[in-house]
Amino acid sequence: MYFWKCWRDTRSFFIVFVIIAAVVMPVAAVVCVGTGLLENFGPEAFRSTFALIIMFAALALGALCASEEFAGETIHFLFTKPHSRGYFLWTGWAVGCVQLLAIALVNWTAGSLTLAHYSKHPVHSAIFDSAMSQQLAGAVIEGLYVYCLTYALTVVLRNGLRGLGASMAIVFGVPFFAIAIRWRWKINLPVPTVPIASFSPLTSNIIWLIVALLFVFAAQLAVERFEI
Amino acid sequence: MNGLAILTEHLSKSYGGKHAVEGIALNVPRGAIYGFLGRNGAGKTTTVKMLLGLTRPTAGSAQVLGMSVATERIAILRRTAFVSEKKSLFRSLTASELVRFSRGFYGTWSDRAVEKYSRLLEIPMQQRFAKLSNGNQTKVWLLLALAQGADLLILDEPTTALDPISVDQVMHVFAEIALDCGCTIFFSSHQLEEVERIAEYAGFMDRGRLLLQSRLDDIKSEFRLITAAGNSLPEQTSQQVLSVGVEGNFYRYVVTKDADGFAAGLSRNGATVTDVAPLSLREIFLQLVQKEQ
Repeated sequence: MYFWKCWRDTRSFFIVFVIIAAVVMPVAAVVCVGTGLLENFGPEAFRSTFALIIMFAALALGALCASEEFAGETIHFLFTKPHSRGYFLWTGWAVGCVQLLAIALVNWTAGSLTLAHYSKHPVHSAIFDSAMSQQLAGAVIEGLYVYCLTYALTVVLRNGLRGLGASMAIVFGVPFFAIAIRWRWKINLPVPTVPIASFSPLTSNIIWLIVALLFVFAAQLAVERFEI
Repeated sequence: MNGLAILTEHLSKSYGGKHAVEGIALNVPRGAIYGFLGRNGAGKTTTVKMLLGLTRPTAGSAQVLGMSVATERIAILRRTAFVSEKKSLFRSLTASELVRFSRGFYGTWSDRAVEKYSRLLEIPMQQRFAKLSNGNQTKVWLLLALAQGADLLILDEPTTALDPISVDQVMHVFAEIALDCGCTIFFSSHQLEEVERIAEYAGFMDRGRLLLQSRLDDIKSEFRLITAAGNSLPEQTSQQVLSVGVEGNFYRYVVTKDADGFAAGLSRNGATVTDVAPLSLREIFLQLVQKEQ
């Protein structure tokens, strides 16, 4: 039931993003036909739009999925239902997570098919080209990381806007902080979702996913101690 | 398993240095309608929140339906319906959708009750919650609580924003379900008339303390206003005498326990006792609060 409620709250946003994810590459391709841009810069443009769409969707879904539930006004209603607080937290998270992955899948598929069509390469080579796949997978991991962080902060701060603001500050601030540390003290801090030097890309991605999930676990600990 | 729906022992809650609730011992019998009275800020809502596990007590313990709030919160919530003091719900859902949402949480849910009470309370079921009037928002909360088929209803200011006709209907419904289903109704209010109409038991809270709790009839029979005429009659308050008012030779005593004995004592001192009258719940409440202050 709660799954339905979370879906209902976010579905219009999700549908808008799915449409954007589905049409952005085909529309760009149609516009650029005959210019040679697609052949030369198509994959690069795809990677950029993919990362951008996932990032925006992650930020917005993270804030949306938790903003109403854990705000001061309706929390009495929710937390007097016979379920653990963790159930509500993880259900809301799962709905947003599935939506984010669906948006990524739609964008990946639409972009790959578009590139395959215009570059005359077979579809599988466009989709499964290892460098491209790795970069797109990296963008998905980054999206999940940002989504988990935004969701956790929104839950803890019990406010969508504050959660979004705090998350953006961390997501965009941490890389600058890491650069400053490296420049001043020559210490290499791991920057979220950037592959960690001593690990393979796969291991790095798994580590960052675990870190992302830890944010949600931390939010659960906070929620279970909430005084309402 | 005791005969109490709610039992608290030394239940306390402090926020910083401020004591919101100070060591209260509630005893709410099963099947009773219990009116929990107090001024704004008396600690009623904090107590209700502790009973539902929304807030942790600083000290003391609470049992609801024989289960510990600290360890069996979810089992308690399965059998307890709640109406919050804040009547906000998911704004984008209609009343029908809120029913659909709530239904899934309770095995004892009754669609027949939804139909009956939505019709009785004239709730526009297809309208979004945000678009409903304050009174109708309160009614939706009540509907969700009534349809749950709960053994215990904990209602925090359940008649907020309701018009007098709706208040009348709601009071009638409470009396009816308590009688038919044998469920316990614990409702907080500062509307003394509401409590007086349907409650069998009442508890008076003020400044975080439970001043008095008993069967309503016992409370009413215990307090008397004695009017006496005479010279130099006693003017001190005591445990028995809550207040003394003097106008010329007339003395007005608000007495608790053994009013007849007190009146006889005045007569022995040469006073003429002109009246021994019962007090309304409002007067009793005001006297208790004034004495506390």
